[in-house]
Amino acid sequence: MIPVFLSVLLAVVLPVRDTLPAATVRAFKDNLPVEKLASPVSNIRVDEAAIPDQAELSDRIPSLYIPRYGASLTSTIYLRGFGSRMDNPVLGLYLDGIPVLDKNAYDLDFLDIRQATLLHGPQATLYGRNALGGLLSLQTVSPRSAQGLRLTAEGGTAFTARIQASLYKGDHGFSAAFRHGGGFFRNQFTGRMCDPYDGAMLRWKWTPRATDRYQFEQILQASFSREGGFAYGRYDGQAIHPVNYNDEGSYGRFTLLSGGRFQYRGDKVRLESAASVQLLADDMRMDQDFTPESIFTLRQRQRSGSVTAEVLLRPGGTFAHWRPVTGLFLFGQVKSLFAPVLFKREGIQSLILDNANAHIPSDIGQLAIWNETLPIDSDFTLYTGGAALFHESVFSWGRWHLTAGLRLDCELAAMQYDCRSAVDYQFVPIMTAPKTYRLSYAGTASHAHLVLLPKLSLSFEASESLLLYATLSKGFRAGGFNTQIFSDILQNQMMNGLMEELGVYLDRPSVSIGADATQYKPESAWNQEIGLRFRKDGFALEASAYRMDGVNQQLTVFPPGQSTGRMMTNAGRSRSLGAEVEMHYAATRFSADLAYAFCDARFVRYESGTADYSGKRVPYVPAHTLYAGLSWRQSLGSRLMLLLRADLRGNGPLYWNEENSLREGFHLSPGARISLQFPKMEFFLRGDRLLPHPYPVFYFKSVGREFFALSRPASLSLGVNLKF
Amino acid sequence: MKTKLLVLAFCLVSLTACHTPIDGPLAPGENYYLGTVSVLYEGEYFNNEDIKVLFSPEGDRASITLHRIRFVPKMPVRIDVTIPDIQLQEGVDGVFTFSCTNVIPLALGGKYPRYTVTDLKGSADAQRLSFSLNFGDYPTSFTGTLMQ
Repeated sequence: MIPVFLSVLLAVVLPVRDTLPAATVRAFKDNLPVEKLASPVSNIRVDEAAIPDQAELSDRIPSLYIPRYGASLTSTIYLRGFGSRMDNPVLGLYLDGIPVLDKNAYDLDFLDIRQATLLHGPQATLYGRNALGGLLSLQTVSPRSAQGLRLTAEGGTAFTARIQASLYKGDHGFSAAFRHGGGFFRNQFTGRMCDPYDGAMLRWKWTPRATDRYQFEQILQASFSREGGFAYGRYDGQAIHPVNYNDEGSYGRFTLLSGGRFQYRGDKVRLESAASVQLLADDMRMDQDFTPESIFTLRQRQRSGSVTAEVLLRPGGTFAHWRPVTGLFLFGQVKSLFAPVLFKREGIQSLILDNANAHIPSDIGQLAIWNETLPIDSDFTLYTGGAALFHESVFSWGRWHLTAGLRLDCELAAMQYDCRSAVDYQFVPIMTAPKTYRLSYAGTASHAHLVLLPKLSLSFEASESLLLYATLSKGFRAGGFNTQIFSDILQNQMMNGLMEELGVYLDRPSVSIGADATQYKPESAWNQEIGLRFRKDGFALEASAYRMDGVNQQLTVFPPGQSTGRMMTNAGRSRSLGAEVEMHYAATRFSADLAYAFCDARFVRYESGTADYSGKRVPYVPAHTLYAGLSWRQSLGSRLMLLLRADLRGNGPLYWNEENSLREGFHLSPGARISLQFPKMEFFLRGDRLLPHPYPVFYFKSVGREFFALSRPASLSLGVNLKF
Repeated sequence: MKTKLLVLAFCLVSLTACHTPIDGPLAPGENYYLGTVSVLYEGEYFNNEDIKVLFSPEGDRASITLHRIRFVPKMPVRIDVTIPDIQLQEGVDGVFTFSCTNVIPLALGGKYPRYTVTDLKGSADAQRLSFSLNFGDYPTSFTGTLMQ
């Protein structure tokens, strides 16, 4: 309450400067201007706030929680109690009006991103799949609004460096960036940092001069990165140990996104269309036991190609009382995945042989495997395609606006899998020579769904400054295939087959994963929400309260027994109750931001098969997110300005498991930035996570062992921005 | 007249087919029997019920495979055991008798001397299989019926 009171007080006593011009904010498909939308809207000027990447939006936007761990492919996003770290995201992402389809491409550097707009709550009626928790729209700098040359150079602790150059001339904009990081966490086994980073990004944006009727925009963006990662330390129940693993942990990624948007304004009809081609090639290598022992490793190499196309139609004339939009969206994606798991000598012994021989009396004999390494090769080809037809109409009567929309979404997905392995085994002393057992597991799986995604909202403009609204909407998140679990399936099948070939049958209960676990269902959620938006002079306030009821919530879980993988499963029912508040105040020399969210996300009905988690909190979801920032601008002469900014962000508490037996508290993390601005030059010093001790940001189990990832340590960086 | 003869022939063929006895001579190849294996363990009989036994006669030799058998109650695993090289004698009415004085059975991928078979005696026909033997120190018997 104190920050709220302070902001209101400051709004009254200080002179104002409006830095949130509504005209710059738009949700490109909606019929209403964004300040009249019946959903909470977070709008951040990324360039002004110097936000380097998407993860920095975490906490700054209420309810948005993006823990930074693993590697770039991790991109875990939680929003309003929904989210998971695998497969489809809970947040739809658009870059200049182009939907980014692959979650592995979500974690991107903010190269010349001008603005980030997040529409909270399900936005599926207009934006379709995965916009269950919300929709994040990123707008890049346009040659229409910026001309000239920009240069940025920055260096900091942990040997971080960033160089960025942009040229906007005529209709064209070219941007290039290179980033290097020496790493924050040392791997005790190798003695080297385990998470160094090198990445480059290039973008070309073309916005030819628009006519009265036609407008076109083209974006071509490519990125390449090579990094370490997976800074996970073992937890022994008392303490988190330093990172200490022996095999390679790395991630390399290439992405290409090419998209165009076309607009035609006719007398009778307005047509907007967008199309894109997206490519992604990546390669991840992971020491999956995260110990100095040679147990097992995972590689995941992906090649993916996607196309999207969308057409929106609106009437050409101006209707005072009725604003409709009708659209058709199509997409297709082909993804090939090569994901071998390699069991090494100690893994063969501890995960396979010890497990099997524990049930065989030694006087009968013991199973031996002679391979030094045991590869389980898995090839997948995944085909996904979808079509959606949607319509939304806004009816306005005076200060009342009623929005009604419906989307019919159809999606088909198929998976071809081909997994194989061979093992040289011997039952000693009975078998006189080893035999080779070969296993092949190939087949197809598919699923399809047809879903209706309605939306109904009512808003009332109580005054020029105040908007009140209520919304009922449904969102969904696509289902998928558990490719990660195939090594477990194959490992189980291999042991069962091998034992059967030997004629040995164990009495232990079967904990193997069946083929039915390879698929998980789409997740959907109904959202009921009330809220208000207040804007007056330099003060802006968003406040809302919601209830979201989820069906088949997707969760990443660890399969039972000595399994080595992780898998997505569907919880029966869940619900999130929450409230979000966002305030911004800007005066001539001073500005303040506050973002706070409360979320109580629980399972309503979730029986995993071994336990009933009904009533438990959904894991990994913080109950609170908080961001508070203060900026001060002081003139030091006619050509020199001093800018000071301090912020505080926090999140928690949260639970790490479905049992709610492992809890993490609330953590605050301060940051600061000081800069000296000349007309064409800025020097800055920035401090992030200025904490003496890091705190846990991620927890998981592998082969029955527990691990934590810690937040990055405090960092300082010094840089210069040039504009010509 | 031709039609009547054809109908009569059809009826005779049908009756013959229906009358094919299930208790006829035992076919060579694989014949599965389902029954109970009893093992005398510490003075009491330990019964393995619903045990599938494969009897494979070939020429004057046969083999018997006991599937998923446990010899003693404390045995933590069930195993498949094959008794090879059994001497076979074909008797009257398709009844085989067989015997074996001493043979090392096959189990766990090789020869398994721990349960060396001695004093095997038994008979098999198209309905029943029964035999008795010693598996190592354990007197064992089986009685089962042919699985259809």
